Order: sequence, then structure tokens, then C-alpha cells
Amino acid sequence: MSLMVDKKYEILNPRERFGLLVIDEKPDRCNIIPLITSHAAAVTGISLKDYYTNGTAMAKAQIAAIEEYGHDAISIFSEVGIIAEAMGSEFIYPDDDLPVLKKPALTGLKQTMDCLRQPDPKKDGRLPVYLEAIDYAYSAVGDKIPILAYVPAPFTTGMMLSDPNQFLLDTIKNPQRVKKIIEISLNAAIEFCYEIINAGGLPILVDPLASGSVISPKAFRDFALPGEQGLINFLHRYDFDVILHICGDTTPLLDSLILTGADLISLDRVDLNLAIQKLAKKIRIIGNFDTTKIGFGSTDEIAKEVKEMVRIGIKAEKGYIASTGCEVPIRTPVENVKTFISAAKEVGWYWG
Amino acid sequence: MFRDPKPQKISLSDWSQQFKLVGEEQIKKFTYYRNPEWGIYLSPPATFMVYGARELKRLKFDNSMASLRLWGFVFNESERLFRAKQIGKRVIATMGDLGTVPVIIMAFPHCIPFYPECIWWTPFFKESTVLLDVATEMGIPEAACFSKATLAAFYKKAYFPKPDLIFASTGASCDDYSCIMQQIEDLGYDPFWLEIPFRRDDLNPPLGGLRQEEYLISEYERVWNRMVELTGINDKNRLIQSIKKANRLRSLVANLKKLTYEASIAPLPALEMMTIEFGNLYGYADSDEWLNILEMVQETICNRVKQGVGVLEEDAIPIAWITPSADPLLLNLVEDFGLRIVETEYVINQALVPIEEDIESFRALARSFLKASLIGSTKERVKRIIDGVNNGRIKGVLITNMIGASHCAMETRLMEKMLSDVPVLSIDVPAPFGITEQLRTRIAAFTETIKNK
Amino acid sequence: MVKQEEKKLIGYNCSYIPVELLAATGYKPYRLLHGDSRLSGSGEKLLRVDACPLVKSNLSYIIENKDKFAAVVGSTGCDMARRMFDCLRQYQDVLSAPSSFPIYVLNNPRTDKPEIFYDEIDWLVKELEHLSNKNFSPDLINYEIERWEAARNRYRVFAQKRAVKPSLISTTAFAKACANFHKGDIELEIKIDETLSQNPRVYLLGSAIPYEAHLIIEMLEANMRIVGDFNCGISRFLNINIKEKNLDGIKKAYYNQIPCIYKRPNNQFYEMVGAQIKQLACKGIIAWTLDYCDNYEFELKRIERIFGLPVLRIRSDLSFQNINQLKTRIGAFAEMLA
Repeated sequence: MSLMVDKKYEILNPRERFGLLVIDEKPDRCNIIPLITSHAAAVTGISLKDYYTNGTAMAKAQIAAIEEYGHDAISIFSEVGIIAEAMGSEFIYPDDDLPVLKKPALTGLKQTMDCLRQPDPKKDGRLPVYLEAIDYAYSAVGDKIPILAYVPAPFTTGMMLSDPNQFLLDTIKNPQRVKKIIEISLNAAIEFCYEIINAGGLPILVDPLASGSVISPKAFRDFALPGEQGLINFLHRYDFDVILHICGDTTPLLDSLILTGADLISLDRVDLNLAIQKLAKKIRIIGNFDTTKIGFGSTDEIAKEVKEMVRIGIKAEKGYIASTGCEVPIRTPVENVKTFISAAKEVGWYWG
Repeated sequence: MFRDPKPQKISLSDWSQQFKLVGEEQIKKFTYYRNPEWGIYLSPPATFMVYGARELKRLKFDNSMASLRLWGFVFNESERLFRAKQIGKRVIATMGDLGTVPVIIMAFPHCIPFYPECIWWTPFFKESTVLLDVATEMGIPEAACFSKATLAAFYKKAYFPKPDLIFASTGASCDDYSCIMQQIEDLGYDPFWLEIPFRRDDLNPPLGGLRQEEYLISEYERVWNRMVELTGINDKNRLIQSIKKANRLRSLVANLKKLTYEASIAPLPALEMMTIEFGNLYGYADSDEWLNILEMVQETICNRVKQGVGVLEEDAIPIAWITPSADPLLLNLVEDFGLRIVETEYVINQALVPIEEDIESFRALARSFLKASLIGSTKERVKRIIDGVNNGRIKGVLITNMIGASHCAMETRLMEKMLSDVPVLSIDVPAPFGITEQLRTRIAAFTETIKNK
Repeated sequence: MVKQEEKKLIGYNCSYIPVELLAATGYKPYRLLHGDSRLSGSGEKLLRVDACPLVKSNLSYIIENKDKFAAVVGSTGCDMARRMFDCLRQYQDVLSAPSSFPIYVLNNPRTDKPEIFYDEIDWLVKELEHLSNKNFSPDLINYEIERWEAARNRYRVFAQKRAVKPSLISTTAFAKACANFHKGDIELEIKIDETLSQNPRVYLLGSAIPYEAHLIIEMLEANMRIVGDFNCGISRFLNINIKEKNLDGIKKAYYNQIPCIYKRPNNQFYEMVGAQIKQLACKGIIAWTLDYCDNYEFELKRIERIFGLPVLRIRSDLSFQNINQLKTRIGAFAEMLA
């Protein structure tokens, strides 16, 4: 048996591959982690409601997706309101769709923060569902596959605790209130991360509502950034390499992203070459295939563009994970996802 | 600011809770290779559990800051080896001899020795057969010792960086290691082979022993010359210093063992003690920091002994443990059943004995190696334990075996007979995640037998 | 002078131990090649079940027949074989066996260290001189070399007949004759009937085949012809060729024989055995391994790859419980080769 790498034969499993990435080593090929979250429910044919209300069902769907697609991580996630719900916001659970915000915990301008409860991740809302999913997945496959648990960052949670429009308005008119909400959300997120870690999950931060598509760079720096920094600092105490995902157009925020302290940045609508140029010396890049294309494109188109993307991505100095810009749409054809992964595997090799 | 609480063994989640009290300055204070950017290693066990070390969820750990440092440092070793190469150090794999060649390696600047064989614990810490399965796919028989994980690790290149050199010691040593080293050569690596002589026992004239010394000296000279070729440095004074440093470590560990095993209440659990002993092999790839950690451990133990406190019950039954367990959980388990390890024979005697400092260095190393556990007779190997049994210090003996390990197959029955004055329990270490109720029952029964004797 | 049949034995277990030196003591060299399920089971009183069955059997044999032995000589070949002698010594010491005899273990280097080997031979000579109260003069050594080389030459004639195309004698018969060599009965006439065979030519290598296990050879030769072997239990001894009729000659010949697979690195084993296989125009290889024989079992995949011929792997604990299944496998392999 020689040391020559047969490109059709993967030497490492996802756990080993991710492990090398986070210590600045090049693995056999780039990690391939499209954001397969609720799409896993469609892969296994379970209802969405089952997926996001039953931890075991969520974990089993994720494991089935791994078996179907052969990508490199389990993603425990349903939607960004999970912490807000545990803190008092109410959500509707449609049978065939993800939870929708019905009534935020802070319904009035004058409502004080006292109504916000500091959630117990083992009891409140659907936080226990996540923990159960992590625990199940970790026991089942945790030796071979990283278990990523997506945690809404404080800014995003803050928006889910309030009327979103009012929250955005308050960033100008009542910034102290916004900062207070973010502080309380940060504490809740830290406690949630603490339990995620104890269950075996690696927390990754998602802050979609802090996107450049939603807020200005200044608002990002004043409000979203401190929340992200607080959570990342907490996770850095554990010596974790922290992933931060912000979807939408984060081009105006690229310079600020370095300030978050994140070790890996998951990008959406950003020119990959630009992102690599600005960030790749210090931060690993994740992304960033157009989710519309993976949801609705042809397999030929997907194959061609994924290869182009990965050929650029693997030049990122500190490392690269081939991914989608945001969550894979729930009803994405299985063939499309398979094409994404096989195309990335074809060109994403570092060894040999 | 974290201060050591009342000593006890705690779970991973307890450590996560306790870790909340550890301040930022404490975390940043301890680094390996003096690197503040990535060299921080003070993390709770949960960190490594999240990165795949599943057994940590079931293990119990000592709750001192010293132990937190110890575990963070030890579990961080794989990363440390990669970082070593990243910053221009040379990473040298030393295989088979278990304790002596690294002393020579460490005489050369920026050279980090390590034992790939220590990967044999990885399948157990991960509760995963991945490495064992890969070894089987590579043609290694299923009934081979767990050290076959080492071969898979060389193949995967994800557990340590490609070594700059491999010193492969073979001869009168375990066949499994020797066979694995040959397979590693077949992978395309280029080991530098060394001969381990057979130690003649006392029945034969001393001339036999002198001859073995001369063989070893010539081998160590070859190691030295190869390292000179690699580094361009040829300074025998450095070897003298390296021996002194190795002795500081050995002396410290000897003292830790004495303090721990002679205290009326065990101040430190067996799992930490086993990890400490194995640190003598190569200091877990940063011997300076490791020495520092052990000094802190010593302080902790001394304080506990002084206060008359510890992690086990005072009436824990003292036993000896022969041959290290590949599964760390077994060490927790025996303590849960009321046993306490007060003597060990972990096949690494050569890494524990002092190296003479008043004779020529290679001869000193040769003499220390000739006290190796596996190159001579079984009788010599268990002598210390027989003494402990005879003087009443040891009430029982536990022997762990690995199916397929050549020395286990041959020695265990003999040892059982030699130690038959006390109850002896022989356990075959099961595959990862394989500890059964039946095994627990056997340990419980063993404990009862000792109590009733 | 003690009559041939009353001579005490000097047991030995390794192809690197010079029989000439053992014979120079006046005792009869006796290769420890015993192995069957009874002896192996008996050996489990002193060794674990996962010890090599050959080692377990030989240990039992020695203990059951201890009065026959004047001494035993082992070497640090494989780890278990070396430790067998430690067990024997402990048995004598610790368990206070009624009689004991000297046990010598030659430090046979695994790496290329002729100086160690030659040194050890010198040490062995001194020990054997002390044992036998004899001086190993050049004349004595020369005498024994002549005797044993002559014996080998007689066996080489038959080995040649086995090797020719078509093969004229079976390994089944040849192995029985070789057993006499191993038991020190080199003066016995070698009687082997010729049985021409056009069956597929194969090469046998692996763990030593004990005296009691020759039925496996017979089973293999039902539909194949073993035309060559590298097996300590059969004709590996024919690789010794002592050119200089003195102690140096013994050292060189034994050191430079085709090396064991446990030597490190073992590429020379593959080169030299490979050359034999090619010369013999073999179509397949029989790899016979005993349970827990690490040195061969670890190498099976390499054997397949490096020799590039079909390999029939037979693993045994010497009990031959699944004999029908074994026959089926052997038959299928022979068919494939044909």
C-alpha cells in the first residue's frame, strides 16, 4: 500500500477532516458541509413538525441525510427563534412549515425586561429538543462525524423577542433598550451553549438578522458585534474554533467580521474571491453556493458552478469548507444536493 | 479565581460547572511551546469530548486545577505535534523501546520525540473502532493487540504529522509492535531500525549482561549519528543535560508515586497516576511544560496528604495493577468497587528508573534500558509486586491482558502462579465500549474475595 | 560412548541454532516441533489460550518428557517462542519441578547485526562446552559440519526431485523424511517413493508445521503438488550451506540463510523466497499460519501483493476440527489453479 492518494478513496472520516482544518492543517480534501438542516426532514419523509419538535426524529433525519449524501457534519437546527421561544416569545407550529413568530415576548414599547425569563435549556421551549437531538446523534455517530449545533446569536434572538420593525427602529431611537435585550439574550445563549457542549455538540453561531441585507455596518458594529463577541469569547474559553454564519449580503461587513473573533466565517451573497482576499489570512472561509441554485437549478449547472467555487475556495490560506450560502431549501431535489457534494469532492483535494 | 475544592472524582459535566470559576488569566497562563496564540491548553474535558472523545462522558476525573492542566495538556497532544512541525520543530517518532531513545532525541534542539504506539488509547477515548477497523482492512488480524491502531494512524495522517524520522526498535520486545513497524515501512515510511537485546537473567554470568550493554551502546551511537546528520548539531554535553532533565522527571514521578501510594487516603485517582507514569516516555511532546504540570500535581498531592484528604475512601483495598489497560474506564471502575492501586507494572519500567549520571552517557542509557519490563523474565518483571505482597502492602493483583499481545499470552498464567498468595484477577480488555455487566461482576467478586481473605 | 538410542536430547526450536554445535556436545539435537490439540490444551495450564499452539504444545512436550532432555536451546525468534523458555525456567524454579536441565536462549538479532549473532554463537559454544564438558576443537566442529552437511546433501537430492517439472516426489513423503533430520536421526536412510504429479505446482510457507500435523500436507497434495517450501517444519534447513568447515563457516552460513519473516526489515525474505517461487514455476502459494502467529498473520496481505500469485490462507489451532470445510477450500483452490 503506497502513500499515493486515490482520489476516489477517502482516507479520512469527517471528524478527522474537521480536526485537521481547525489546527491549520490541510486534510485529504476540503470539508463539505452544505447547510442541510430542515431539508433532512424531507430526505427521510418525516413531517417538519416532527423534525423540530422531536429531538430523536431530528437526529435520525440528520443521520439519514449523512448516509444519503456523504457530507461532513450533522447540523442540529430548525429555525432562529429557538432561544426567543424559550425566553417567552410565542410561535405557531404549522404542520408543513417551520415555526413562525406569533407573539414576541416584548409586545409593547414600555414593556420591561422582567418578562423575559432566563431559560433553562433542559426544560424551556424546544431547547431540550435540540439537546436530545445532539445527544442522540453524538451517541450514534459522534466518533466519526462532528455534531454542529446552530445557536442564534444575541442580535437575532433579540429581534425574535420583539416586534422586528420596532427592534430595528430602536437601534436608532432607543439603543440602550436594544443593548439590554442583547445582553439578556447573550446570557441565555451562553447557558444554551453550555448545555450543548455537555451533550457533545459544537455550537456554531447564526446571525442572519445581522446581515448586511438587514442592517447597516454601523448597526452591526454597535449592536450585533458585541453579542457575537460575547458568545465567541465564551466559546473560546473552551478552546473551540467558532463558526459564525451570517447569510445575505455581508459584503459591507467584511472588515467587521474579523473583529467578531470567529475562527470560521460562513458567507452567503459575497464574492468569494473578495472574501478570501480580505479574510482568508486570519479566518477560515465557509460557503458559499447560491441556495436558489441548489434548490432550483439543473444538475449540470450546479456541478459546473460548484467546481468553480471550490477551485477558488481551496486556495483560502487558512482553510475552506465547501458549503451553501444558507440553508438548503427544504424541498431541494435530492439529486441537486448529491451533485453539489460529488462536484465538490471531485475538485476539492489537498492531498496527492 | 478557581481554587481547588475538596478532593473528589467528578464527571465531565461537573468539570464544566467547575470550569466556570476558572478565570481568563488562569486559562491564558498555561501554554505549550510558550505560544499564546494557539498554545493554550487549559480546557475542561468537555472540549475534547465535543471533538470526539466520547468516553470522557463516562469517565471521572480528579477535580484539582493541577489535574485540569494535566488533562488539557495530554488531550491536546495531537494538535501539539502538528503545531510543532508548523513552527519548524522536527517531530521524531520513536517506536518500540518505550523510554530511552527520546532522551537522546531531546538532546537535540527543536526536536520533539513521541510514541505513535500511544495511539492505542485513542479507540477507547473515542469509543470508536475506526482505527481498529482500518487496521483490519489493511490486513492486520482481528485478534491482534489494540496497538494496531498505530498503523491506521500512520495511514490516515490525521493523528500526528508525518515524522521527520522514525526510530523503530525491535528485538526482544512485543511481536505486535515489531509487526506494526514493518507494516509502517510498507506504507512508504523509512524507519531507522534499532535492535533491542534480550536481557539474560541472573542465572547466567554477568558477562551476558555486559554484552547486552555493549550492543545497546552501539545502537545509541547510531541514533546519535543519525540525529547529527539530521540537525547538524553534535554536542555530547547536551546529552548530559537531557539525561539530567529526564532524571528530574523520573525522580518527580517516583516521588509522586511514593506519596500517592503510601498515603493513608489516595490523594489522586489511578487514571491520573497512569497518565503521569506514561508521561515519562517523552513528556507528551513538551517535556518542559509537562515537568511544570507535575510540579503543580506534586504540590496538590502534598497538600492533600498533609490535610489527610483524598479521592477514595480510607478503607479502599490496596492492589497492584500489571500491564496498562487500553481502556481508561477500567481504572475508574476498580476504584468505584472500593479498590485502590498502590503498585503498578505498566511495561515501562525503563522509563521510570533513574539514569546514572556519573558514567558515560550511552552506557548510562543502556543500563537504564536493560531494566526494561518486557525484555527479560516474568519473574523480574513482577519482583516489586511480589515484595509488596510479601510485606502485606498489596492485598490483590489485577492483570489486564490484550488478546493477541504476545507477552500477555505468555506471562499471565505464570504471574498468577507467582502471586498466588493473594487473589489475582486477570481481565481481557474488551474492545471499545465493551465493558459488560459480567466484567463488573467479576471485579465486584474479586473485591469481595480480598475482603473475605 | 552412549548408544545412539540412549542418547539424551538437546532440544532446540529455531532454524538459526546450529545443529552442528548441538551435536558436538554428544547429545542428540532434537527440533521442538510438536503440536496437536492435546499438547496444546495441556499447555494452557501454563499459558493463556491465545498463546501460539506450537509454543503451548512444545512446552507441554518438554515437561512431559523432561527426563529425555539434557538441555534446551532457544532463540529470540518470535516473542512467544523466546518466552516459552522463560516459562520453562519459571516452571522449574517456581513450581519446583523434580528435575531440571539447563536452558539457553540465543539472542538472535532481528535487525542486520551479524556481530551480535556471531558473538552469541561464541557464547553458546562456551555454554555447550560447559554442559558437555568437552572442548569444541576445530576437528570436532569440522567433523560435525561434514556429518550434517552430508545429511543435507542427501536431502537435497530429494528436494531436487520434488522441484523438477513434473515433480517426482510429494512433500507428504518428503516431510516425513525431513522429520528424521529434525529429530536428529540423520544416519537413517531416506526412503521416499517416487510419485509423479502433474497437479498444479504450489509453494508452502508460514508457521512451522509440527510433526503431528502432517495430515495438512496430505490434504493439500490431494489435488496439488507442493514443489517447494519455506517452512521450519519441513525443508527450510536445506537453505543452510556451510562452505568453510569451521566455526566461522557455521556463523556465516546460519546468519546468511534466507531470513525469517520476523527479521526487520523483511524485504530480503520476500526477495529470496520470491526467487525460489519463480524458479519453481509455482502457480500458487499456501500460507499456513497458526493462531496468534503475528509474524506471519500480519504479513498475509503483503504476501499476496508482493508475490502476485493466488494465496490459500489456512489458519489453524492444530485441532483440525473443520476438516471437511478445509478440504472443500483446498479443493476449490486447486481447481482455480488448474
